[in-house]
Amino acid sequence: MNWIDKAYGDPKYGNGRWYLNPKNHSRNMYKIKKPDQKSAAFGSDPEAQSGARIFEIMQTRFEDPEKFERMVKEADAMRTKGPFQIGQVIPIQEAFKVAELSYPIGAMHCICRYHWRANEERNEHEYSCTGLGVGMLKWERWPERYKGGVNFMTPDETKEWLMKWNKKGLVHIIMTFGGSYVGGICNCDYPDCGMIRNRIDYGITTGCIKSPWVAKVDYDQCTGCGICVQRCQFGAIKFEVTIEKTNIDQFKCYGCGLCETACPTKGIELIERESLPGLKEVW
Amino acid sequence: MSKPRYPVIEIDSNKCTVPFYCKKCLEICPTSVFMVHAVKVEKGRETNPQDPGAYVLAAPMRDKCSVCNDCIEVCPEDAIKIYFPSDT
Repeated sequence: MNWIDKAYGDPKYGNGRWYLNPKNHSRNMYKIKKPDQKSAAFGSDPEAQSGARIFEIMQTRFEDPEKFERMVKEADAMRTKGPFQIGQVIPIQEAFKVAELSYPIGAMHCICRYHWRANEERNEHEYSCTGLGVGMLKWERWPERYKGGVNFMTPDETKEWLMKWNKKGLVHIIMTFGGSYVGGICNCDYPDCGMIRNRIDYGITTGCIKSPWVAKVDYDQCTGCGICVQRCQFGAIKFEVTIEKTNIDQFKCYGCGLCETACPTKGIELIERESLPGLKEVW
Repeated sequence: MSKPRYPVIEIDSNKCTVPFYCKKCLEICPTSVFMVHAVKVEKGRETNPQDPGAYVLAAPMRDKCSVCNDCIEVCPEDAIKIYFPSDT
């Protein structure tokens, strides 16, 4: 059993597929609030709070680098214990399964692009993030998130919508947003996604754990067209000049599958991380 | 171990009052060092991007700043200053 299943659930839904476990879509959704207690995670405006919090953490990096290192280590230790402080990259096939499992599903604007690029995404054509589960039903209480509204979608619409962003080149990350259940699927890239950025630039693993897959090139099928090279957000794919084919660094690969979906000759396949002893512990 | 030196990005909040509405620096930065967040929050209502002082601009990723000065050029209010801390 790997660490994700140990911390988050049940290997019967597949190795490392905690997000397919229905329990993880419902646990602790409604908590009984005592009158004198404030919600620990979210106040009246989680967006503004998260912004201020991110800024605080980043500021620690400059003022007290050692404390920052400690914070990163603590967060990393937390992910292996649970419950739920994580985000994980998943390929689109898995995102489809989540779309069938979770209800309700609403498309909304991306909080990262909002903070880092002041990108507003004010209508359903621009929304690039999804909220999953009943948390969506009280979304209007949070004005910064609700500003353009929420576009609720059926599973089939969700798949179509995910495919749209996949084609454009965004990575799917299943998130708990620090809560205790699956809260959404983000569609991310570098540098305007906080999760990918924090991991690549600052080594904060919790928000962007690698998927249970890694990509592998089939050299017989690869024609060296180079399309996959542009698709990789993690810098794992290079063009190997002398053999005129793609080269994937599996240690850098996050298993998002963007290269796989774009390959015109089916020259890239996703294989299970667990099946490769050298990558088993690389998350 | 000496602390690594990073560019210091000073943002004059008296001049930069509507960063979420203006957003020129946020969009132009090649390494996306800026961040904007709401400080004025009323329950159940969206913060107005054109309300002066409702949003603040910060540069939390300034360790990735290459000091290309694109943001200084694009800023209509002349509110951004970037310098390298001196050795002394």
